Amino acid sequence: MEKREEILDEENINQMESGTDEMVEAAEMEERKIDDGVIIKFDNVKKVFGSDFAALEDISLEIQEGEFVSIVGASGAGKSTFLKLIYAEEMPTGGEVYFEGKPLSGISRRKLPFHRRRIGTVFQDFKLLPKKTAFENVAYAMEVSGAPTDEIMEDVPQILDIVGLSDKMEKYPHELSGGEQQKVVMARALIHKPIVIIADEPTGNLDPVASLEIVKLLLKINKLGTTVILASHDREVVNKAAKRVIVLERGRVVCDDARGKYKMC
Amino acid sequence: MFLVLGRTIRESFRNFWRNGWLSVAAVSVMIFSLFTISVLFVITETGSNILRNVQERVNVSIYFKSDVSEENISKAKIDLESYSEVASVEYVSKEKALEDFKSNNVNEPAIVKSLEELGENPLLASLVVKAKSPDQYESVSAYLAEASFKEDISRVNYGKNKEIIEKLNRIVAEIKKIGSILAVLLAGISILIIFNTIRITIYTHRQEIEVMRLVGASNTFIRLPFIFEGIIYGAIASVISMGLLFLSVRFTAQYFPSVVLPENLFSFYLKNFALLLGMQLAIGTFLGIFSSIIAMRKYLRI
Repeated sequence: MEKREEILDEENINQMESGTDEMVEAAEMEERKIDDGVIIKFDNVKKVFGSDFAALEDISLEIQEGEFVSIVGASGAGKSTFLKLIYAEEMPTGGEVYFEGKPLSGISRRKLPFHRRRIGTVFQDFKLLPKKTAFENVAYAMEVSGAPTDEIMEDVPQILDIVGLSDKMEKYPHELSGGEQQKVVMARALIHKPIVIIADEPTGNLDPVASLEIVKLLLKINKLGTTVILASHDREVVNKAAKRVIVLERGRVVCDDARGKYKMC
Repeated sequence: MFLVLGRTIRESFRNFWRNGWLSVAAVSVMIFSLFTISVLFVITETGSNILRNVQERVNVSIYFKSDVSEENISKAKIDLESYSEVASVEYVSKEKALEDFKSNNVNEPAIVKSLEELGENPLLASLVVKAKSPDQYESVSAYLAEASFKEDISRVNYGKNKEIIEKLNRIVAEIKKIGSILAVLLAGISILIIFNTIRITIYTHRQEIEVMRLVGASNTFIRLPFIFEGIIYGAIASVISMGLLFLSVRFTAQYFPSVVLPENLFSFYLKNFALLLGMQLAIGTFLGIFSSIIAMRKYLRI
């Protein structure tokens, strides 16, 4: 009980700090839209798998719109579960996750796809379709949501240009390097113009140079106003981002620094 | 909406094609079950046609003694008509019976001649009774045995066709029973095989399905290709089964004496073409959709 209150207090302070931090950044970057709105809120969330394994416990925190948050922690600390709760792949066992002020537990299965279109996801293992070209992989995300063909023909090259792959649109995933494949995934994540990008170990399969490029890309996306949540155990990646860092340990938040470095609390 | 539908249908056909032998197996079992069902339908339909035809020819003829007056006979007619199980009663007078006899034996002048030599009409007046249904003749004859005019009856001509009808009835019922069991069995097998085919399709597409879910494809969009695949199995099977039925009906029609049948088997097929095809399409697509839905509920976590 005592420990929990401690964590909560710490979080409140961090929250205030991150709020002021945002203000400073806003002054620095005029193009960035600043809204004090909380976009994601975890309220005393608990997630238990099976009958006794608690992947997450006592998670209460807020993420502001436009924030860049790094989630760090050892394997099995609950990073992926934390992210899955946001894109509603998993539902909390206790507590509640709010997205734009609305509880996710109230979302119907029919509405779930629309929730997912507001969130772009990037994974360590890319999850690209091997029999489709870079262009088709990105176009596929639009096709499944019923976008008209002319819109697809217009938007896809644009987004591939943003990630720097305009010359490799017709290449298949196996013809691309790991970094390039991850860029295709980023393009796919961005195609719906999501308000949040979730990246689960996006650099896990990449060499340091490619990793750096991906982080730069994430920072660029964040600069344009999209909230980014990055889970990683790569020290370099997190330090490069130099933004808010939340440290998870055995399913609990042990640190939450507004301008953090990779560390173990 | 049409766009989504178009993309989905294209995808389903591709799945169907890529599954290769599995699709062939699924379609063939479906063909067998549809074919059995439709053959069953044709047999029972023609069977009951034959029955109806024979039943219409069945009647009970009551011959009255030659000294019974016409008045008494018409009384007996009224009496019989009041009996609830009797459909119609027709009076055949001595003269009418003679005329019929003559016209039936026009080709045998010797008989007609001997009849004329006899000088008087040897034939008896009769009442031809038709019951409402064939199994009521028993009670009609029982009624006759107790009737007030039983003393006037010379003889009752009944029971000639009874056995044939009963036999036919039994055969048709038997065919219906065995055929239904067979049809249900085959339908069950085709559901299982289509279910398995769709399951494998889901398995081979799990990567795509995962991506679809992540990029926010609607559940309908994810499910539709599998439903369409089921429909494709059903539709193809019913068209092929219809063709098979065409060939087999055409073949058997040649060997089936048209005397027994009120109409030719083949013309029956043509007359009921739309009905048969519609029935098979309905059953086929139902089986396809049904098995797809079970497979999806079990293996598609959305």
